[in-house]
Amino acid sequence: MNDMRIAERDVETNESKISARKVQVYYGTNHALKDVDVDILDKTVTAFIGPSGCGKSTFLRCLNRMNDTVASARVEGTIKLDGENIYDAKVDPVQLRAKVGMVFQKPNPFPKSIYDNIAYGPKIHGLTRSKSELDGIVETSLKKAALWNEVKDRLDSPGTGLSGGQQQRLCIARAIATQPEVLLMDEPCSALDPIATAQVEELIDELRSQFSVVIVTHSMQQAARVSQRTAFFHLGNLVEYGETGQIFTNPKDPRTESYITGRIG
Amino acid sequence: MSVFWTILIVLALAALGYILGRQKALNSVGGDSRRMHSLPRYYGWNVAIFTMVPAFLVLIAWMFAQAEYVERHVTSMIEPADIGEGSNLSLVMADVRRLASGLETAISTGAMTADQVMALDASKDDIRGMLGKVGVAFGSDVTPHILAAAQNYREIVSAASVYRAIAVLAVALIGFAYAYAQTNGSFWARNRVEQVTLGLLILCSMIAIATTVGIILSMVFETGHFFGQYSWTEFFFGTTWSPNFHGNSQLGMLPLLWGTLYVSAIALAVAVPIGLFAAIYMSEYASPRFRSIAKPAIEVLAGIPTIVYGLFALITVGPLLRDWLAQPLGLGNSGSSVMTAGLVMGVMIIPFVSSLSDDIINAVPQSLRDGSLGLGATPSETIRQVVLPAALPGIVGAVLLAASRAIGETMIVVLGAGAAAKLSLNPFEAMTTITVKIVSQLTGDTDFAAPETLVAFALGLTLFVITLGLNILALYIVRKYREQYE
Repeated sequence: MNDMRIAERDVETNESKISARKVQVYYGTNHALKDVDVDILDKTVTAFIGPSGCGKSTFLRCLNRMNDTVASARVEGTIKLDGENIYDAKVDPVQLRAKVGMVFQKPNPFPKSIYDNIAYGPKIHGLTRSKSELDGIVETSLKKAALWNEVKDRLDSPGTGLSGGQQQRLCIARAIATQPEVLLMDEPCSALDPIATAQVEELIDELRSQFSVVIVTHSMQQAARVSQRTAFFHLGNLVEYGETGQIFTNPKDPRTESYITGRIG
Repeated sequence: MSVFWTILIVLALAALGYILGRQKALNSVGGDSRRMHSLPRYYGWNVAIFTMVPAFLVLIAWMFAQAEYVERHVTSMIEPADIGEGSNLSLVMADVRRLASGLETAISTGAMTADQVMALDASKDDIRGMLGKVGVAFGSDVTPHILAAAQNYREIVSAASVYRAIAVLAVALIGFAYAYAQTNGSFWARNRVEQVTLGLLILCSMIAIATTVGIILSMVFETGHFFGQYSWTEFFFGTTWSPNFHGNSQLGMLPLLWGTLYVSAIALAVAVPIGLFAAIYMSEYASPRFRSIAKPAIEVLAGIPTIVYGLFALITVGPLLRDWLAQPLGLGNSGSSVMTAGLVMGVMIIPFVSSLSDDIINAVPQSLRDGSLGLGATPSETIRQVVLPAALPGIVGAVLLAASRAIGETMIVVLGAGAAAKLSLNPFEAMTTITVKIVSQLTGDTDFAAPETLVAFALGLTLFVITLGLNILALYIVRKYREQYE
């Protein structure tokens, strides 16, 4: 693992943004996630790693209640965002998802123009009062997603016409446009080529200054490159959670060591 | 030998060919099927195909040629004097054919021998009485020429059937021998069989296309006759429809076209919102269990015969609309109205809209919904702003297909909207459509030379062009939509 350059690990804050306690997820009778306790820090990139089916994506989808859209899924335990339990009856999952944005595995631009893709979130949440304000949000979101220079002359062309890497950055820009506090990314680079992956990873590092980013990845190199904190999931359990450098160089649990050295997975 | 037995013998030969061909191929490699080019059954099929296919092609060709030949030959024996007042050649030929088949029946039931039949003389024997005994009723007495023609007809047909059987069986045997001689383990039987299968697939698609072309041609032909007798400007732009079987008809199609479009528009106004909203509910909100019950239940509507809808319109909807809407509002007191037919037809085409739209909405990738929900949109916002725009071209296609169904509908209109051709805006007045008038022009005692009858073909062709246009538009839109994802 010589190519793993462990990035600077200076976490700027130790303030907890999301804290999950005793989270259980069931799909029908299948107990998919068992007793997960995690504190996700503000303005930090947290990586979830683990073999397929280990529950990392399931846990990610708990953080913005996307599991609500799966009829058979049942979630127990508490997940607090800024001290408020997001599974409380008083919380509107729709409002929650505006605060906790999500980027998916496969780029999924809407069959609309690039502009309308970005403007979608601000429009439905009524974030702007004028067209020029909306134009401003579209521009800053695209700039933050490092896509502005490539698309600024064709904002009216369809988002589906972009390349895979551009589409994924468009989806990130779309998520940024609603001004979320946390950004969840479910294997955002698995459908991209290495160059597009590098661009998205660079972007993730820049986004850290504004939000807390949680990324699920199959690539341990990627986790090592972009994250400050890493959580290792195995068979529905959170095995180990800690500082990325420590997880990759000095894991405490033998299972973590087996996984990162390639013996299980 | 009858066609049935010929076919049966050819099939038996083919079955024998399958067994022998397979066996010969296996024997040629000493029973080790791994050393053969193809699987053993392909060698069997190769022989069977060569036995059957050419023989059946010859049989089909022979039957067409025979009919044509006999008709020509026998027609030349009929003289103008045999064709009576008010009759024509095709009626006389029909008599000849019936007489010939009566004679054939007499022979096969043993009432007469073939020689006796040839010796019949119209002036002496009571042919009508004899045929009556074997169960063939004949309207008039048989003239000598017709009897001679019929005797000749019977003779040619019975001789031809023998030659036909010989020819077909010979072709089958030649095919059998050729393919059997070819058969050995290194022959590429699989490729040959697959080629023949490919040919069969092409043939089937050609038949579908040829039927469409045939329908169009027959319509165009008769329409041409119509426009030879009636001015096309008056047909397309005339505003009065009053056919009169004594001539001097006014055959303007505009009232019919108006009625068609009016009824269809009302039907679509009923079916599109209901069908679309039902589709949205079923694909986006309903539980799988509800959907599995409701979707087939809605599709039942499409299976109800249109005559039943027509009765519903006539007995229930029509009087209801008249008593509760038309009369109180002073819009008329007709039980049959455009509104009645339109409403009932709308119910009929709901499943076309809902079922197709449901499939199309389901085909919108889940990732788009997730994307929208993940941005904090409600399910309703997601449907309105992401799912429906993505599905819109497909939904438009579904609506156009439903529209062409509505335009072609007949029974509901006959019973629901009446048969009066009128140009009016009042939806509570009786009107009629193109299809209804096609039916009424062709029913009863019709003269296929008069414009009053031929107009039906012109109307049919117009209707065909309208619905074909709508279908092409729908297919074009649906296809364009398909290209949008993946």
